[in-house]
Amino acid sequence: MKKIFAAAVLLFTVTSLHTFAQQKQLKVVTTLNYLKYVTEQVGGDKVTVTALANPKQDPHYVTPTPRMNEVTTNADLFIENGLSLDLWAKNVIDASGNPNIGVGNPGHLIATINVPVKELPTEVSRAWGDIHPQGNPHIWLDPLNIRIVAENIAARLQQLDPDNSAYYQQHLDAFKHHLDEKMYGSELLDLLGKKGGDILTRKTKDGELYSWLSSRHLSSKLGGWMKMAEPLQGKEIISYHKTYIYFADRFGLKIAGELEEKPGIPPPAQHRDEIVDLVKRDGVKVILNDNFYSTDAAEYVASKTNAKVIVTYIDVYSSPEANTYENLITYLLEKILKAES
Amino acid sequence: MKYFLIAVGMFVCAGTIMAQQSQIGNAVKSQMALRATGGRDSQADTSETSIQQLRNEVLRLHGEIQSLKTDSTNAPYSQVTEDDLDALEDHIDQRMQRLENKVDAVSRATAPTVLNPRMTAFINFAARHDNTTVYDATGSNVISDRPFLRAMEMELGSAVDPYAEAVAIISLNSDAQKGFTIEPEEAYGLIKRLPILETAPLGLKMKIGRFLAPIGISNITHLHDLPWTTYPLVVSKYLGSEHGDFFDSGFNPVGADFQFFLPSPLPSATFEMNADVLRGSELGISEGDPGGQTAYLGHLTLSEDWNNEHLLVLGASAYTESGITTTSLFGGNLTYKWAPSEQRESHSFVGGGEIFFGNHSYIDSTGATLTRKPYGWYAFAQYQFSYWTYAGLRYDWVQEPSNVQLVSREISAYISYYTTEFLRFRLGVEHRIRPWRTPNLDNTNSIIFEANFVFGSHPVEPYWVNK
Repeated sequence: MKKIFAAAVLLFTVTSLHTFAQQKQLKVVTTLNYLKYVTEQVGGDKVTVTALANPKQDPHYVTPTPRMNEVTTNADLFIENGLSLDLWAKNVIDASGNPNIGVGNPGHLIATINVPVKELPTEVSRAWGDIHPQGNPHIWLDPLNIRIVAENIAARLQQLDPDNSAYYQQHLDAFKHHLDEKMYGSELLDLLGKKGGDILTRKTKDGELYSWLSSRHLSSKLGGWMKMAEPLQGKEIISYHKTYIYFADRFGLKIAGELEEKPGIPPPAQHRDEIVDLVKRDGVKVILNDNFYSTDAAEYVASKTNAKVIVTYIDVYSSPEANTYENLITYLLEKILKAES
Repeated sequence: MKYFLIAVGMFVCAGTIMAQQSQIGNAVKSQMALRATGGRDSQADTSETSIQQLRNEVLRLHGEIQSLKTDSTNAPYSQVTEDDLDALEDHIDQRMQRLENKVDAVSRATAPTVLNPRMTAFINFAARHDNTTVYDATGSNVISDRPFLRAMEMELGSAVDPYAEAVAIISLNSDAQKGFTIEPEEAYGLIKRLPILETAPLGLKMKIGRFLAPIGISNITHLHDLPWTTYPLVVSKYLGSEHGDFFDSGFNPVGADFQFFLPSPLPSATFEMNADVLRGSELGISEGDPGGQTAYLGHLTLSEDWNNEHLLVLGASAYTESGITTTSLFGGNLTYKWAPSEQRESHSFVGGGEIFFGNHSYIDSTGATLTRKPYGWYAFAQYQFSYWTYAGLRYDWVQEPSNVQLVSREISAYISYYTTEFLRFRLGVEHRIRPWRTPNLDNTNSIIFEANFVFGSHPVEPYWVNK
């Protein structure tokens, strides 16, 4: 009898501790799936993360559902991309009834704060189409911006859970180092030492990575995405939407034009023909078409030229090849390289 | 030599950083002034120029460092190491990031939704052509064969303080042939928490004021958001409409609404409830009868979505008020939506319907208690053929609230063309059968053209799917 009692007490204790440990996890809800991935890397086992959008969905047009509202009801932290991309997040926050994640509370985070935003409009009008007043929101396709996003998330997790501050910092550092390895290769990073990642990041931001490496006879040591992207330097591509501005700038591609004449407005026939002329004139080989947009216009241009249409996924978990952020970037580069070859 | 080089570098940096701070201050002040004036003008250009100048200055500094590096490499006894210069560059980089932070903060702070309420205006225009004379619900105003500015709405919304938000929707509705009526179609505060209750159990939200009561789906949909050219007959006749289904209809009483989540009977479904206390005697089937007593409304919603591609919603409503007159209304609603994530061909489907059972008891002029128990329903389906084009059908069947022997039936079809989610054109045809009317008016065929404009700070939102 005593043994049974002792076993029961032990079971109760273990269950309670397990429950307690579970309760200590911060519950995080993100709008997009890349935010979920980054939060999981930084938060480790101290967080449970749910992404609301389907990763195959157009992030501009997500229909808030009661399920999303309910999932968000008990969230400790709500993370959105911001920059007027996931505007539907406000509907979810309002409908959740969770007072801790409203704008202005520590439980609400716009992940793109402090990211150097491109294409800030000088005129804001609906006449320009689906314009983003705070700049182009597709920042996550530049890995250097992901470093900033990860820092923002880590800082907010540390604020909400100060007892585990060192844990989040450790995970942040590890994630940034891992990104650096993917970006430049581990051999080069090892050669440059502890601050190698920061130095290379700075050189990349300043657009002088290749010349800097060349001047130090380190070009042969470069690996990772930047090595993969070397053949793409200066290559022109066409995209359906202004999705790839950050990606192209980072990896040396040049966006020759978009199929959309104005963001969010399907391409008019006249503009498609202008793109056909442009593709012929410049010898553009690649048309990037996000998976959630119609391929009609891209196929039309391809049929009149030698360009290839690549249907691309842009969020993490959207396809087996993009099951991590790192694999998403690799997948995009490989797709473009293959089409250019 | 090395100290000289470092000193020069530091001096240049310090001077530039001071200049930056001054210019950043000016830029921020300019943007603040711009925000105060509420528009972009020459001050915006000045700020952008200042920021660009700062960026150029930082780039110039990087150039200086490169120059110093070259000098130090050529100098025979240079002891300025790469680490020294990288540390210096790192320092400048941090300043650059802080500058970007301020640029970011300024650009976000000037977003149009800051402090001022979000404002959106809606304009709904409709013109109709009929094969016979058509009157509005009062029976005194001819509405056939003419255009109408059916409604103009102005929606304002903003946070009040950390505890509440407020929404006001001012509506100018066409009064058939008589002009316009101005009314607060909705005006409510949404309380999310209180200083004495920092958390919201079950996601409780409390709405106080005047609002579209949560009876089914159509009643909480504004005229400009409808997927049809007119309101369903059962909604306009049972819930409320002074001038009939062609004009703005619905039940928007004054009261309080408590919305919260309940444990779901199905593992992956979401179960929600609205519990309302309302001012009575304003429901369509009880309107005009004396009363003013308190009314109670409950609405349950069970929903499930699959990958945000398929959504199924089941709802049940119960409304009751009792006093001099007694009115009850029970309703059920079903909606299914399919919108594929990979919208390469832009197809979607929405279908569903609603049914209402009324029960209204009142005392007539002889002192006798009379009871009417009408019911009615409608069903609809809509398919999206392309990015721009949607087409749908609706069938209505409804008993007159005043006489259940009188039944109206209607079949309608429509095609909608959206240039964007902010501009819609719609052409609809209706065939209405009313055997109880005089022979010449039994059947009405109508063609209705509608144009809908949305402008302001309303976020990009596909109304035809969301609502």
